[in-house]
Amino acid sequence: MASSRDDFIIAIRSAFLKKSTQQKFSLLTLVFFSIVIIVLSSFNLKAITLTKSFIKEIVYRSSFIISVPENFIKSSYVNLREYTNYYSEFKITKEELDQLKSENISSKIVKSENEELKSLIDGYAFTSNKILAKVIVDHESPFLRSIVINKGSKEKIKIGTNIYDRSYLVGRVIEVNYTNSRVLLLTDLNSNIPVSITPGNVQAIVAGNGDKRGEIKYIKNDLINKIDDKGIAYTSGTGSIFKSGIPVGTIDSKNKDEKIFINFYSDFTQLKYVFAEIDELMPSSVVTEENDQTEVSSNTEQIKLDLISDELQILEDSNTKFIEENKELNTLTNELNKQIEILKAENDFQKNVIQKHDLDKEEYEFLRLNLIYSSKCQSKKLFSTGFKVGTPEYRKCIMQRGKKSD
Amino acid sequence: MIRFQKKNLLYKIYIRLPILILFISVFNEFDLNYLNIDYFSFNFPFILIFWFALKAYNRFDYLFVFLAGLVNDTVVGLPLGLSSLSYILICIFASYLRNITISPNLIKDWFYFLFIISLINSINYSILFLFFSYELDITLFIVNNFFTFLFYIIFSIFFKRYLKSLDD
Repeated sequence: MASSRDDFIIAIRSAFLKKSTQQKFSLLTLVFFSIVIIVLSSFNLKAITLTKSFIKEIVYRSSFIISVPENFIKSSYVNLREYTNYYSEFKITKEELDQLKSENISSKIVKSENEELKSLIDGYAFTSNKILAKVIVDHESPFLRSIVINKGSKEKIKIGTNIYDRSYLVGRVIEVNYTNSRVLLLTDLNSNIPVSITPGNVQAIVAGNGDKRGEIKYIKNDLINKIDDKGIAYTSGTGSIFKSGIPVGTIDSKNKDEKIFINFYSDFTQLKYVFAEIDELMPSSVVTEENDQTEVSSNTEQIKLDLISDELQILEDSNTKFIEENKELNTLTNELNKQIEILKAENDFQKNVIQKHDLDKEEYEFLRLNLIYSSKCQSKKLFSTGFKVGTPEYRKCIMQRGKKSD
Repeated sequence: MIRFQKKNLLYKIYIRLPILILFISVFNEFDLNYLNIDYFSFNFPFILIFWFALKAYNRFDYLFVFLAGLVNDTVVGLPLGLSSLSYILICIFASYLRNITISPNLIKDWFYFLFIISLINSINYSILFLFFSYELDITLFIVNNFFTFLFYIIFSIFFKRYLKSLDD
């Protein structure tokens, strides 16, 4: 019993402390180093943060270079798969593109109106410069879903900066270094996004499920039925973590456990380039005009200006269209008024004709009856009861077929 | 069979191949994740470190293992030092097994490896959950543990061949 205990102690001591010829440190020393590093890294001291940042800069760059062959194989595999589905996808994409083109114009108008209204409300408008960033590290860990992009504090990226794939939300920045930063993807278990779901305007939280989808959580039971199977989820802006109105995904069908999942618009496994949105508070009045000249040189401002000029063009086009329509309508109204006048004149003329015809008819009837009843109504003798020809009484008598009324 | 001249650069690279592969795997996160199989993942550095710490510890510098852990933490986004601790713990357990084993047996090593990775993954999970408030799916840990255990046998065949080629 005692010897087996001794063996155990010897084995433990040997494993921990014995340093063979090839080793520079004993395992116990390295364990101690590890624990010290874990403890130190949890403190937010400036020196530690700088050291961590320096290590990360080197590791991310090295990882990017070392991953080149693997990424090449991966992208070749993805390209091959895409080519096989090329034609069918092309047809669908073409239809979608046509639809999107039409929707794009109206959304641009709505956007510009929205910006105008926002600037009217508080006198300030958020100018969002979207800068393009390359994904340099995209190693999917089974436990954490994150990527590393090649833009950092140098480009004014901060913790919480929203990251997009085209116009769809991808995640937010959780760690910033000088030239790169780590983005927590929406699929990560630690990601929670406040969303609104249309139709129904249901407020909920979408949490990543560690896989490809998000799960809707923290929703009242009576509101679950309001969620449509084809509903759209977009950020509600609650908590000011994400901006409002950014498309997130579509509702997947509800499963047996009444869990509702969201299919994200973006495929997070295929991210190569993303957009980082840098927000700046800028006065909407004169100050912007002064700053304009200095900012025109930057590409992002140029893109923004292009967009505004596009919007202006759209407004001008629609304005011209409205003016033309207005002119046409005025001409049409004038023509119609003329036609009405002509018709009125015709109507009067016809009324006169009818009236004349009625008079003629009456006169004809009088003449006819005069031939028959003139002897009865005329006064021929001195004491006869008739009337003098041409008087109204005579006419009345004739029309009454010789009957004399007193 | 390729034969190298000793003191040749290629030979020097060849004898340090395990460490090189370890660094490439931590820089690359080599775990076949891009196959997009649900829940599928395995921890290649665990297999490599355990096998070489057990069978060829003379050609395996623990300092590099420690550094590889730091790289892995940086790439994956884990708290710095956590993977280093895991890797060094694997080395310690492998070293202990080596000291108490008189006649090595692959099956015994294999199940001992299962015990070790389960223990280390549990420590990792506890540290991340309790001290760093990470939200983690325990299913992923269990599946990762299981596949790492399964792949140990496959990789051990390749490692054995490599070691044999060095001895020859």
